[in-house]
Amino acid sequence: MLSLPQLFEEDVQCMERSMDELLRQSDATAALLIDKGGPLICERGETDEFDTTTMAALAAGSFAATEAIAGLVGESNFNSVYQQGERRSLLVSNVGPQLLLIVIFRAAHSVGAIKYFATIASKRIALQVRIAEGRNPGSVLDLVSMDLANTSVLFKKKA
Amino acid sequence: MAIINQATKELQVKIVYYGPGKGGKTTNLEQVHGNVQNVQEKGKLISLATSSDRTLFFDFLPIEAMSIKGFKTKFQLYTVPGQVIYNTTRQLVLRGVDGIVFVADSQYDKMADNVESFANLEENLKALKVNLADMPYVLQYNKRDLPNAAPVEYMDFLLNNREVQVPSFAASATRCDGVFDTLNMITRILLNKFINEGTRKVA
Repeated sequence: MLSLPQLFEEDVQCMERSMDELLRQSDATAALLIDKGGPLICERGETDEFDTTTMAALAAGSFAATEAIAGLVGESNFNSVYQQGERRSLLVSNVGPQLLLIVIFRAAHSVGAIKYFATIASKRIALQVRIAEGRNPGSVLDLVSMDLANTSVLFKKKA
Repeated sequence: MAIINQATKELQVKIVYYGPGKGGKTTNLEQVHGNVQNVQEKGKLISLATSSDRTLFFDFLPIEAMSIKGFKTKFQLYTVPGQVIYNTTRQLVLRGVDGIVFVADSQYDKMADNVESFANLEENLKALKVNLADMPYVLQYNKRDLPNAAPVEYMDFLLNNREVQVPSFAASATRCDGVFDTLNMITRILLNKFINEGTRKVA
């Protein structure tokens, strides 16, 4: 299973800058960077009105399913899923082996322009992931401050 | 693999409920969604199901526990479709999984389905280059309230007969019995694992 390398703050900031640039150039509403397993990495733009956690999980599933369908018809060059809406449309683009970039934009906008700028942003983000992969992955997460004594009942049932 | 954001002190974990068809995976999520209290945030339960309420792709429930020493812990609970024909879909849902709850059906006539589903889980993990032995998981013996339920010892013999036995729970998901015990155990095992081994870090 291909997993994302450790990303430092500078990596995420670089990715966010690429997404901000994409939003500025394309006039899209929002952009989300997600792991192909479903978790959200970061989000930019006007995301307040969206349930981005659920959107990330569903987009990852949708992309994976469409990719599998493409494979069944012998199509290996599969890079994006476009959903055309009446008010808002959505483009999900491949960003290397681990990540996906979701762009939400007004339906009146041309998907061609969105795709063009999303491709540029995807390349920049993928490059940053490769830089992160090239670093020493030795450092591990410091979670010792979490108190495990409290986790036996992390979720309580209503009485 | 879990994602942690050190900058925002946030941990994201993916747990998949696996098991044979009609075993109670979706019911587990429904009960967690309906009965959980004192959580920081509970998202909508999303079900991608057929018109006859069988899981087609997956169910999804994001749930954020109360923070532990300042760390937000976000759990994403998924189910897979249990029906044998949907194996490709199960493989897709397993991508990036951190921990598994195997929901077995306790009825005697479902034992073959349980064993087949468990073998299928091992195969699908292998396809993702993951050994089951390295994957945190717990067993839930569901439908204990039914009259034809097999003894727990027999189910342990069939499903938990390994060098290292994993925790198993008797449950009746429709009554919400055992549902939270199962969830709390897998979350505890996962957090222990992350603290001991470290995990993927963002920022």
